[in-house]
Amino acid sequence: MLSGLGTHGPHVSSLGLLAINALLFASAIWLLMRPNNHQKGWLWSLFLLAIIASGARILLSGIPNIMPVTILVIMVGSKYGIQRSIAFVILVTVSSNAVLGDGWWTLFQVLAWSSVAGVSAMFSVHDDEGNLSMKRLSFAAVWSVPLFSTIVSLSILDGTMSSLEFALYMFNGIPFDALHMMGNIFFAVWGGAWFERILSLQAPSQQRIVGEDQHVSIV
Amino acid sequence: MKRVALLLLLLFLLPFAKADSNRSWEHEFENGYITTQPLLIEETVFVRTSGFWMGEDRPQISAFEISSGDELWTYRSETTLQHDMSPLMFVDAGTGACGSWQNLLVVAWADGKVTALNPSSGVLVWEQQTEVNILGITGQLGIDEDRVVVPTRQGLSTFCFEDGEQLLRADFEEIGWRNGVLVSDSGYHVGTETGVLYSINRDGTISNTSIGEGKIRHVPIETQHGLLIHLQTSTGSTLYLNNSIIGNYGYSPAIPLQYGENIFLATSEEWISLSCNDMTCFEASKSQFHSNGEMSIRNLENDFLELWVPSNTPDGGWGVFNRTSLQRMHTTSFDTYTTAAPGFSTAAMALGNDMGVLQVTIFDNDETNEEESSFPLIEVVHYVLLLSSYLLCCLFFATGNKPRLWKTLTLFLLLFTVAAVPEISTQWSTLIEQDSEATWDDEWPEEWKDTQIVIIEIDGKENVIGGLSGQLNVYELTQVACESLGISTEYEDQYLGLYLLSFNGTEGDGWEFTLDGSRSNTGIVDTTIDSDSILRWRPA
Repeated sequence: MLSGLGTHGPHVSSLGLLAINALLFASAIWLLMRPNNHQKGWLWSLFLLAIIASGARILLSGIPNIMPVTILVIMVGSKYGIQRSIAFVILVTVSSNAVLGDGWWTLFQVLAWSSVAGVSAMFSVHDDEGNLSMKRLSFAAVWSVPLFSTIVSLSILDGTMSSLEFALYMFNGIPFDALHMMGNIFFAVWGGAWFERILSLQAPSQQRIVGEDQHVSIV
Repeated sequence: MKRVALLLLLLFLLPFAKADSNRSWEHEFENGYITTQPLLIEETVFVRTSGFWMGEDRPQISAFEISSGDELWTYRSETTLQHDMSPLMFVDAGTGACGSWQNLLVVAWADGKVTALNPSSGVLVWEQQTEVNILGITGQLGIDEDRVVVPTRQGLSTFCFEDGEQLLRADFEEIGWRNGVLVSDSGYHVGTETGVLYSINRDGTISNTSIGEGKIRHVPIETQHGLLIHLQTSTGSTLYLNNSIIGNYGYSPAIPLQYGENIFLATSEEWISLSCNDMTCFEASKSQFHSNGEMSIRNLENDFLELWVPSNTPDGGWGVFNRTSLQRMHTTSFDTYTTAAPGFSTAAMALGNDMGVLQVTIFDNDETNEEESSFPLIEVVHYVLLLSSYLLCCLFFATGNKPRLWKTLTLFLLLFTVAAVPEISTQWSTLIEQDSEATWDDEWPEEWKDTQIVIIEIDGKENVIGGLSGQLNVYELTQVACESLGISTEYEDQYLGLYLLSFNGTEGDGWEFTLDGSRSNTGIVDTTIDSDSILRWRPA
């Protein structure tokens, strides 16, 4: 529907889409295979979160811009670094777009979430001891939206749109950005700690116990 | 665990948010609008487009598979003109005096052509040319056993279904517009733009009668009391039954629709239900509504019916009436001005509008009660959650439980934003338009204040003139401004009123205007202006 209406930029042929997805998938594999640090036990956590993010994005597609993907990207970026968070972004975007609709915009979504992951890798939402900071996460829930929105909106540019028209297009999207922001804050507050547990699943048990809040019992 | 439960609750709500008991698909035609009823025949939906196409584009007939939305074929006319408004006609295969024919999709065009297409492939079976007087055929065709009856621009022709051979021809003195033909036992009846009703016997003899000062733009309705005509006049419309006036109504009447003893009418002001008994036809009920095109009927179980009436307003949508009153408005995400009636089959519904968007909805098998399916479950759940989260916020605030207050507050704000964003986003875009266009420019002379000002953007350059006064509508003000600025204009009298074609010969993709920063719902003649209005013309 959206591609039919031309709201997401130029039409890409099936062959073009196949090439884009193949390239993205290969990049994700390469990023996952290439060892960059010796942190152990991240792979299953990352896959589990990718399944949660993709599934939630598909199920929540009825409400525009409400999805836990952005918050998860921020947390993965902060915890695992930019390399693995980009792989995470590719897996989530490609798999969920396979259901929601694939096109030129997939590239821009990957680019936008990767940028969010990159920034969160630099400005971590975890404190010096590696614990999740809800204040930083809530702040990230806000700043990530304009960054994501701006990059994704670039997909609409097809050479015929003036800068004024693009600015108006961006302006028209502000209410939906507000929705995205509220959704991010909601998922940060309600799901942040839970997501953090999954991210730390493979960490040594003592480290995990110390890092969790007082509601977690010590067995 | 609570978080998991909450997330699951949210996820479970989502399918409902999108839910509709039916599934649908859309197709947008890049150029042109849909102004005639889509036809649903077995597994195929047929639809035609009309103006305003530009450049190399042309109107087309397309066939789609109902279940998948896959395009089966498209037939494009390279020669037709704007305003292809004659509804499509599907003819079942048969045999008659003039021959045998296969299933046909008969299409009449604004360039006077009549084409018969193979509905399975879109291949041309036969074609005939009728006369053109600026335009060709715009009215609804009729079927008379083995032939198609065509109300041409200035007459009437019949063609054999088998090979398109002309069987009858009658010439009129006046031209017609959307003047559909009635096929009755006595012959054919068709109106004209001067209010004359022609009756043609099957042997070719012609008689005519003047109904009144006005235009007959529909298929005459046959009743037991004579023919019913809804005449479009300069002051509105007048309803005639057997040449006698039985009512006066609003402007731009829609095409009347007959169903048994009921006849349904509409204008820019109202929707009317007439009932015919042994004595006469009388107004049974009337509701405020704005419709100027076609209407259609959907038959439900237990002899219930729904009358679907397109709303020809910026908000669009379809009014769903029973025999006497409006029951509900059916809306979609792409609503706008609409004159095409919805097409129905037992399994699906097809909607088309002036944006050129076709939406086909496939009904679920268990959809038997429309009222049941229209229960706003999502809204109710949403507002219950919204209210609950608000009450919880109050509770946690009162008890000083800050962590839970913060959590509940985010839930409340999220639910609130979800509810508010659709309305806000609608107002948002209007805000930009008004702010950027309706403001006074400090560079303009002071003496222009409180006068009428016109800005015309041609090739990126603003041509501005102010200090005008006394003009009553957009057309008058534009004319005066253009004379002062030395800009030539070109207009065209179209179905929806006078339409500005070009400034200085530049047509582009059309021209649009805003008045004091707002788009108008009416045409340039009908849009009245104030003594200090700012009118802006720019390329569409």
